[in-house]
Amino acid sequence: MMASRMLMILAVLLIVSVPAMAQGGYDRNSPEFRESTSQFMCLCGCGQDHFECNMDGCGLNEQFKTEILEMLNEGYEKGEIKDHYVTMYGEVILTAPEKSGFSLTAWVTPFILLAGAGGGVTFLIRKWVRKSKGVNHVTPKDDGDGDEAEKDILNSLIEEERKKHF
Amino acid sequence: MHIIGNVSIYLAFFLSIYAFAAYVLGIKKQDQRLIDSGKGATMGIFILASISMILMLVLLGTSQLQFEYVYRYTSTDLPVMYKLAALWAGNAGSLLLWTFFLAMYSAMVAFSRKMIRNPMTPYIISIMMLNVIFFYFILSFVTQPFALMDGVPPEGRGLNPMLQDPGMIFHPVTLYLGYVGLAVPFAFAIASLIVKSMDAFWIQMTRRWTIIAWAFLTLGNVIGGYWAYTELGWGGYWAWDPVENASFMPWLTVTAYLHSVMIQERKNMLKVWNLSLIILSYALTLFGTFLVRSGVLTSVHAFGETNLGAYFLVFMAFMVILSMYVLMSRYHLIKKDTGQFESFLSKESSFLVNNLILLGATFAVFWGTVFPLVSEAVRGTKVTVGVPFFNTVMSPILLALLFIMAVCPLIAWQRSSMKNIRDNFLIPAVISLAVAAVLVIMGIRNAYPVIAFAIISFMVLTHLVEFIRGTRARRKVTKEAVPVALFRLMIRSRRRYGGYIVHLGIALIAFGIVGSNFDVERMETLSIGESMEIDRYTLTYENLGQRTEGVNDIVFANIAVEENGRELGYIQPERIFYLNWEEPSTEVAVRSTLREDLYVVLSGWEEDQRATFQVKVNPLVKWIWIGSYVLVIGSIFAIWGGRYGQVTPRYAGPERKVH
Repeated sequence: MMASRMLMILAVLLIVSVPAMAQGGYDRNSPEFRESTSQFMCLCGCGQDHFECNMDGCGLNEQFKTEILEMLNEGYEKGEIKDHYVTMYGEVILTAPEKSGFSLTAWVTPFILLAGAGGGVTFLIRKWVRKSKGVNHVTPKDDGDGDEAEKDILNSLIEEERKKHF
Repeated sequence: MHIIGNVSIYLAFFLSIYAFAAYVLGIKKQDQRLIDSGKGATMGIFILASISMILMLVLLGTSQLQFEYVYRYTSTDLPVMYKLAALWAGNAGSLLLWTFFLAMYSAMVAFSRKMIRNPMTPYIISIMMLNVIFFYFILSFVTQPFALMDGVPPEGRGLNPMLQDPGMIFHPVTLYLGYVGLAVPFAFAIASLIVKSMDAFWIQMTRRWTIIAWAFLTLGNVIGGYWAYTELGWGGYWAWDPVENASFMPWLTVTAYLHSVMIQERKNMLKVWNLSLIILSYALTLFGTFLVRSGVLTSVHAFGETNLGAYFLVFMAFMVILSMYVLMSRYHLIKKDTGQFESFLSKESSFLVNNLILLGATFAVFWGTVFPLVSEAVRGTKVTVGVPFFNTVMSPILLALLFIMAVCPLIAWQRSSMKNIRDNFLIPAVISLAVAAVLVIMGIRNAYPVIAFAIISFMVLTHLVEFIRGTRARRKVTKEAVPVALFRLMIRSRRRYGGYIVHLGIALIAFGIVGSNFDVERMETLSIGESMEIDRYTLTYENLGQRTEGVNDIVFANIAVEENGRELGYIQPERIFYLNWEEPSTEVAVRSTLREDLYVVLSGWEEDQRATFQVKVNPLVKWIWIGSYVLVIGSIFAIWGGRYGQVTPRYAGPERKVH
C-alpha cells in the first residue's frame, strides 16, 4: 500500500516535472540553444550564423539570441523556431537552402553532375583500354610500381656516374 | 608627386598598348626589331609600375593626406607597417599591386634566359600584355590611385581595424602572387596553341610557375584562415564566404591540372583537357576578382559596391572567348591522342578520377556560391548558402579525394596487378581499420570523423610505404646508410617526393580540420575571482585592466588557466578601441598546443567589472598550420633547382624568324 502510494506520488511528480523541464532551464550554453540559433544567418554582413556572430555593432544578433532563448524556454522546438523566422524573413534567413522545392537543386546538382561525369570518365577509360588492347595483343608484363621506383633509382645512379666521368 | 604618379600610370598604359601592337606587328611582319622594341616597352612598363608602387608606398608611409587613397585608408597615428599595408586595403591600391606583379612577371618571361631565341616568347608576352592593358585601363580611367582631394584634410579616415593584423600584411600579397602567377601558364598555353606547338613544352616550361602560383594561392588561403581565426573571434578559420570560395576554386582546378599534366607528359594524352584546365583556372582568378570588386554577393571581403565588377566581367568574357576560339581553331591538331590506357587499375586512371573529383568539388563550390543568384533569378526568392551547405556537400567529395590521394602513389603506371595492390595496401589498410576501431571504442560514434581519420591514416601510411620502398630499393644497389639513401632518393626525384611531401601536408591539414569539428564552447559571465570550467580547463577571471598603445585604448582581462588542476599561467583576451574607428576589434587569447587550442574571447563587461567570456576548446587546429608549412616545404622541394631532374625542356615546335 505504502509502496503503491509512493509510486503514485513519483508518477505525479514526473508528469508535473516534464513540461517544467521542457519549458525552462535552457541557457546560452545549452546545445539546443546552439542548434536553434545556428540555423539562422546573421544579416549584419559578418558572414556568420547567429550563434557565432559576436561582432560589435551587430544590432540584430543580441536580439535574436534573446528571443530564441525565450522561445526555447517557452517550449518551442527547433523546427518551430525555424518556421517562425522563415515566415518573418523568408528563406534567406536560413544558413542553407531548404531541402525541398527548387532549393533542393542546390543540394543534389553537384552529385548528379559528379555521377554523370563519373559515368563519362568510366566510359572513356573503357574505350581507351579497349582501343589499347586492339593495338597491343601482347599484354605487357606487370612491372609494378616497386620496379618503377627501382628503375628511377638506377637511372639516377647512372646519371650520377655519368656526371662524375664526363 | 601626383604628376609623377599619374604620368607613371598613363605612360605605362600607352606603353602597354604600344608593346602589344609591336609584338603583333613584329609577329605579322616577322620583324625582330619590332619584337625587341616590344620587349623594351615591357621592361619600361615594369620600371613604371615599380615607380608607381614605390611612390604610393612613400605617400602612404608619409601620410600625404592630400591624396584621396591615403586619406581614405590611413591616418597619421597608424604604425608605419599598417600605413604601408593600406596599399591593398582599397580598390586602387590593390589593383596597382596586382598590376605591378603582372608587369614584373611579364618582364621576367620576356627576359628569361630559358626563353632566349624561343619563337613563342612574343606570343606569350603579347597575351600577358592584354592583361596589363586591361589593368592599366582600370588604373587610368576607373579607379585612380593618385587622385587628389580638394584640400588637405587634417586627418585620414584610418584603416579598418580588422586589417590591422600581421596576417593582413601577407594574406593579400600571397593571394595576388598566386592569382597573377596563373596568368603565366595561361599565356604559355595560348601561345603554344597559336604557334601550333602541340607537345608538352609549355607544360614543362611553366611547371615551376604553376607550382609557385599554386603554393602562393595555398599560402594566401591559409594565412587568411589564420587571420580569421585569431582576429574575427568566432573560432573558425574558413567560413565558405563567396570570396574565400573564389580563391579556393582556382586552387582546386590548378591542383587537378598539376596532376593531369603528368599524363600528357608521359603518354601524350589529355592535351585538350589540360588546356581547358589552365584556361578555366585563369578565368576563375578573374571571376574571383569580379566577386570581390562587384558587390554582387555579400562578403566580408568585398571592397564595397563599385562598378569595377562589370569591367572584370567583360574582360573575363573576352579572354575566355578568345581562349576558346584559339583552342577550337587548333582542335584538329590536338584532338589526336597518341597514348594508350592499358587498364582501369593504373595510375593514369587514378589521376583521371582525381581530376573528376577536383572538378566536381570546383563545381560544387561554384554552384553553392552562385546559387543565391540562381534562386533569385529563377523564382525571385533570395536564399543564403552558408557553412552547413558546403560542409554537407563538400565533406564526401573531399573524403573521396583524400582516398584517391592515398591510393594513387602506390598504383603503377600502365597497369597494376592484384598482387601489386595486395603488397602495397594490405598493411596500411589493416592499420587504418584498426585506427577506425580504436576511435569507435573511444566513443566516437559519428561516421564522418571515423571514416575521415581512417582515410587520413591510410593516406599517411601509403606515403610512408612509398618512402620506405624507395629507400630500400636504393640501398639494395648502393648499400648506403638509411638517412643517406633516403636523402639522395628524394633529391634525385624532387618532383615525385616533393609531391609526396605536399600530400603529407594535406593529410595534416585534413587531420586538423576533422579534429577541429570536435570543439566545445561555453559562454559565461563572471565576477572577479569567479571561475568557469570547460573540458579539462579551469579559467579564473582575476581582473579587468586598461592600457594605451599609441592612440588606441585596450581593455583586457587577466585569466588564470589551470588544466586538470595544474597551473598553466595567464591568458589575456583583449578588446581594442581605435581613435579613428567606431567599432572596437577583438584580440583573441589563444593557448595553442598540438592537442588543442584554448580560445578565449572577451565578449563584454559591466560597470561592476563583471565580464562575459566566450571560451572554446578547438582540438587539433595547430595541425592545420603545421600541415600548411609542410605543404609549402614540399612545393619548394619539388621546384628547387639542382643537378637532378630540373632540365630545361627543349622547344621542338615550329620555328619563326622572330623570337
